[in-house]
Amino acid sequence: MTLTTILIVAAALIGIGLYGTLSQQSFVMLMMGLELMLNGVMLAAVGFWSLTAGGLPTGQLLTIIAMAVMAVEMAVGFALITAVYRNRQADVTEGLTTLKH
Amino acid sequence: MTLIALTVAWVAFLLGMAWYIAVLDGLWAAAREGRAPRAPLANPLYRCATILRQQSNLTEAPDLLNWRLAPALYAGLAGTGVALVPFSSASVLADLEVGIVWWGAVEALTVVVVFLHGWSANSQLGLIGAYRYVAIGLPVMLISMFVLIAAALPAESLAVPKIIESQRELWNVIRQPLGLPLFLLLGLSLSFRGPFNYADSADIAGGTAAEVSGAPRLVWEFARLAMLTAVATVAASVFLGGYLGPWLPGPVWLVLKTTAVLLVSVGLSHQLARISPSRMMTLIWTVLLPLSFLHLVWAGVLAL
Amino acid sequence: MNVTDIAFWIFAAIAVVSGWRVFCTDSMVRASFLLMLSFIAVGLIMVLLNAPYLGIATVFMMAVEMMVMALFMVMYMMNPAGLNPMMMVHQHRFSIAAGVFVFAALTGLIVVTRFSSNPVAPDAEVVVGLGKELLGDSMLIFETAGVTLLATMVASVILSSRSGRFGEADTGAVPPPLEPGGEPAGRQPEQASGHAHHHH
Repeated sequence: MTLTTILIVAAALIGIGLYGTLSQQSFVMLMMGLELMLNGVMLAAVGFWSLTAGGLPTGQLLTIIAMAVMAVEMAVGFALITAVYRNRQADVTEGLTTLKH
Repeated sequence: MTLIALTVAWVAFLLGMAWYIAVLDGLWAAAREGRAPRAPLANPLYRCATILRQQSNLTEAPDLLNWRLAPALYAGLAGTGVALVPFSSASVLADLEVGIVWWGAVEALTVVVVFLHGWSANSQLGLIGAYRYVAIGLPVMLISMFVLIAAALPAESLAVPKIIESQRELWNVIRQPLGLPLFLLLGLSLSFRGPFNYADSADIAGGTAAEVSGAPRLVWEFARLAMLTAVATVAASVFLGGYLGPWLPGPVWLVLKTTAVLLVSVGLSHQLARISPSRMMTLIWTVLLPLSFLHLVWAGVLAL
Repeated sequence: MNVTDIAFWIFAAIAVVSGWRVFCTDSMVRASFLLMLSFIAVGLIMVLLNAPYLGIATVFMMAVEMMVMALFMVMYMMNPAGLNPMMMVHQHRFSIAAGVFVFAALTGLIVVTRFSSNPVAPDAEVVVGLGKELLGDSMLIFETAGVTLLATMVASVILSSRSGRFGEADTGAVPPPLEPGGEPAGRQPEQASGHAHHHH
């Protein structure tokens, strides 16, 4: 377990998350892709904190903030999905075309 | 105590307490029906044998992996909860610096596992039980988290052993009187008993366990008892001083306090009626959660 | 290889494989719990990295979050149980290429960079340090996060509520067509109560 291996695992999570975000049609699956990317970011942050920052407390704070960002993303995302579903009865990104024309 | 001795004690504690709850349940049921209990001490073992002789049921197109894993995971979560609690000042199986946080994770994962158990059977009644359980289980978990944070305040630590040590002068049940009653509700919710039995109740023919028989059923029923044991053990340690007490050795005190908490829990689960899920939601969000906030403020002011 | 290394590789494999399976499974409920598994594995890696509070808080938070996610899956998505095969993707090749490219680019950067080595001391009181930081020097940041979460709660309630200043949110909602420019698909919206009932 070195910093390099930890960061490569984090990079793999970010890559998979990006694939999911770009490829999924359904809103909730798209959000899962975003979450997976944040998962990789959090792993990388803790890896840096633990192995290069010598246990500086602010490094842990960064991860806490990332978690808060994730909670915000989830809550607003679900609220938007609910709003879109009420308006368009759509649960896939193709259902939203107002910005296209 | 060595690790092996601790592990043996841990297994014996879980099995013994599960048997004790089953005996209490049998006695209570007999008293309610006004009949003399038949072989009350051996009855849980007979029940085990009866369940084991049954065939394992299969539904149409279940999610077999999750369905079979859920009972084992549930029992495992209960086991890790008991492992957090020290039997005496020097003997704890999982000496976790953030024990209370892990206990919170156990509660959250229990909700997930119970949902999976009901969902994966691909059966209507199981799914209804699973949904009702999530709706009630999540807010009850919030209450217990506030209560536990309050208990961690005087100890200035998230570790269960330190919380016990902080009660040498005064037990938390006296210092923070609302904590234990609110935490007992969590026990009823996590093992879905009595007033909180929204997952496996009779009105939906057994709910998440409606389609389960044979060995998985045995594990599921044991896991429910083990989870109640885990909550009672944590309650005895966090609010009643755990192994602390005069004259007797520490482990004896822990067992005594746990059995007392279990007696109260089983009594509550048999005496209190269940209300409809929507009313229970209102009760939790408008009465119990604000109470737990008040409790936290009270504990915070005291700890200053 | 010591025990920590073996545990790390197991958790890393679980995190990556279950993260990948999220986008391959047919069932959306299973997808959300696979994502939870990925988060739990990362949380346990954090515990190995001497961050017990962060690791276990991740497990705790993600269990709740993915439970809610699974409920939303069942509410809004078709095929939550995965009884039918399902592949709902667009721009698939481009997405795969983008994912692989980002992974390769990041890995390349990681391999060529030389990182300084200053590991956290094994006996450091990291949880105490985090608590003192959160409620000490960084209290403003921490409280800002708290207020942001409160604002989020208010915003989500406003966004998702049915009644609003301009009437019901779902008035006149028409399902999207299956083909571009075609007939609206699926369930037609229910008439609001109080009006005469007529069906198209």
